[in-house]
Amino acid sequence: MLKYFLRRLVMLGPVLFLVLVIIFSLARIIPGDPAASLLGPGATNEQIEALRAQLHLDENVVKQFLSYAGGLFVGDMGSSMKTGRPVFDEILSRLPATLELSIVATLMALVIGIPSGVYSAIRANSSFDHVNRTLSLVGVSAPAFLLALILQLIFGIYLGWLPVSGRLSPYLIAEPITGFIILDGIISGNFDVAWSAFLHVLLPASVLAAFLGATVGRFVRTSMLEVLGEDYIRTARAKGLSERLVIFVHALRNSLLPAITIVGLKFAEMLGGAILTETVFAWPGIGRFMFEAIKNRDYPVIQGNTLVFALLFMLTSLIVDLLYGYLDPRIRKRMSR
Amino acid sequence: MSAMEDLVYFLRKNPLVMASGSFLLVLLLSVIFAPLLVNYTPIELDITEKLAPPSRDHLLGTDYFGRDVLSRILYGGRFTLAIGIGVVSAAFLVGVVFGTIAGYFGGIVDTIIMRFVDALLSFPALVLAIALAAALGPSLTNAMLAVAITLSPQFARVARSQALSITVKPYVEAAVCVGVSTRGILFHYVLRNGIGPLLVHASLSLGSAILQTASLGFLGLGAQPPLPEWGADVSLNLQFIRESPWVTLAPGVAILLTVLSFNLIGDALVDWFNPRQRKED
Repeated sequence: MLKYFLRRLVMLGPVLFLVLVIIFSLARIIPGDPAASLLGPGATNEQIEALRAQLHLDENVVKQFLSYAGGLFVGDMGSSMKTGRPVFDEILSRLPATLELSIVATLMALVIGIPSGVYSAIRANSSFDHVNRTLSLVGVSAPAFLLALILQLIFGIYLGWLPVSGRLSPYLIAEPITGFIILDGIISGNFDVAWSAFLHVLLPASVLAAFLGATVGRFVRTSMLEVLGEDYIRTARAKGLSERLVIFVHALRNSLLPAITIVGLKFAEMLGGAILTETVFAWPGIGRFMFEAIKNRDYPVIQGNTLVFALLFMLTSLIVDLLYGYLDPRIRKRMSR
Repeated sequence: MSAMEDLVYFLRKNPLVMASGSFLLVLLLSVIFAPLLVNYTPIELDITEKLAPPSRDHLLGTDYFGRDVLSRILYGGRFTLAIGIGVVSAAFLVGVVFGTIAGYFGGIVDTIIMRFVDALLSFPALVLAIALAAALGPSLTNAMLAVAITLSPQFARVARSQALSITVKPYVEAAVCVGVSTRGILFHYVLRNGIGPLLVHASLSLGSAILQTASLGFLGLGAQPPLPEWGADVSLNLQFIRESPWVTLAPGVAILLTVLSFNLIGDALVDWFNPRQRKED
């Protein structure tokens, strides 16, 4: 297991290197003087000079890259053009909000996606299956910002049930312990805060969960159908096991394994959707930070955020691979060899 | 005419595909004949009529500048369809060229190209598209380019696996023996025989191409005003969502329906070309 883990880490090396090269090159594919065109027509000469210095545009490319990559290892992502504060700190302070949102969304997606996928597979080609498959395609096809707006209108404005922006009611103050406000509220015994934070997360998380849940449901259905056609399922049925036992003990476990992979892969894609969702719901995470950076043409922030999103993606796929190996004895055996 | 019979059978088996196809056809016709269908141009201002609710004059109401929402959607649909086809063609071209080369030549060429593909796939697609579009500068062309780049690695993967399996076929070996040029082999043997899955993937990508470009438009990185682009129009009227939801929702729903139609067709095509799935129906 350890050997597999190490090998997996080593394999990440070249990809991580190329990811850094790509992010580094992004600021240099800009036509003309990158600093001047990044800042737009309204920039003063000092601002342009400052950005040139910050991007190390005056040195040769290899040296530029080395100082960029070297800086990253000590948490130096440059500083925001807008606020002057270090990008790394700004991202770190916003990361918990995004993680909280995406964890809640993932849980919602699993709760919706797995049962609906399983039931769809058991009753393949029934009317439930057709409706479910169509709905899940709607979930993948809907722009995140449209879903967000519709939920805001229905539950926030017309029904008035749920808050439509921010993480917490304005009159409540959360003591930051972990940065996950729901958790912080529970730890500090301040259940008003926890409850309010929970209500605030519901709508934005639903938007993200619609996409992820739809994807998971489709995947679980396919893999369940595949497993149900296997010989050992026929054997289990032939020896007289109840249908419930066959499905929940024999089929479900084997069909959920591949679903883990898809959850991991789509988790990161969902983070991309978080940029749109956080923007609409004024959710103070890194997605909204990215949006503000776009508006302000704050390229160091865009670069830093892009890197963090890529790292999160790579981290989830690493975890998924390890988890998969851990859960599936066939792979576990192969790995320890 | 077995191809025709196949198509008819396919449509009969998939009523939703029929519906999607009809919707896209109607959309195509109405964006082409938009000037005949609406009495306004998408950039015609009428401040006295701003944020008017849907009426006989303006079937979908007007936006903050008094522009007819329906005409903006119809004219914007021209961009949307062009975006879908343009982005997917560009991604197809880039991805297939590199993927086929990687699969055919193998070795170090393969390793370099595929590591690069892996690196591109290590970004959430929308995030990479945002970073690219922000670097290139906000415009519709740049947004399309950015989305095409983020979609191309998947084409490269499919093309590579096709090339890998076709390169070892005896007929390729025979072609090498009789002295067909490498370019000839790549085009006439490898690409031509591997095109099926690539086209299916292309049809699946149309939806995401439109969705991603619209998302960039929504974030202000795509089409710039006064260009009538659906994603940009949603964000433009965001602040009026309470009083005049139709202005914001109409272009959003247009995106949803178009993307959904493309996805329904792509999804059915995947099932169709997957023999295991087909048997089960």
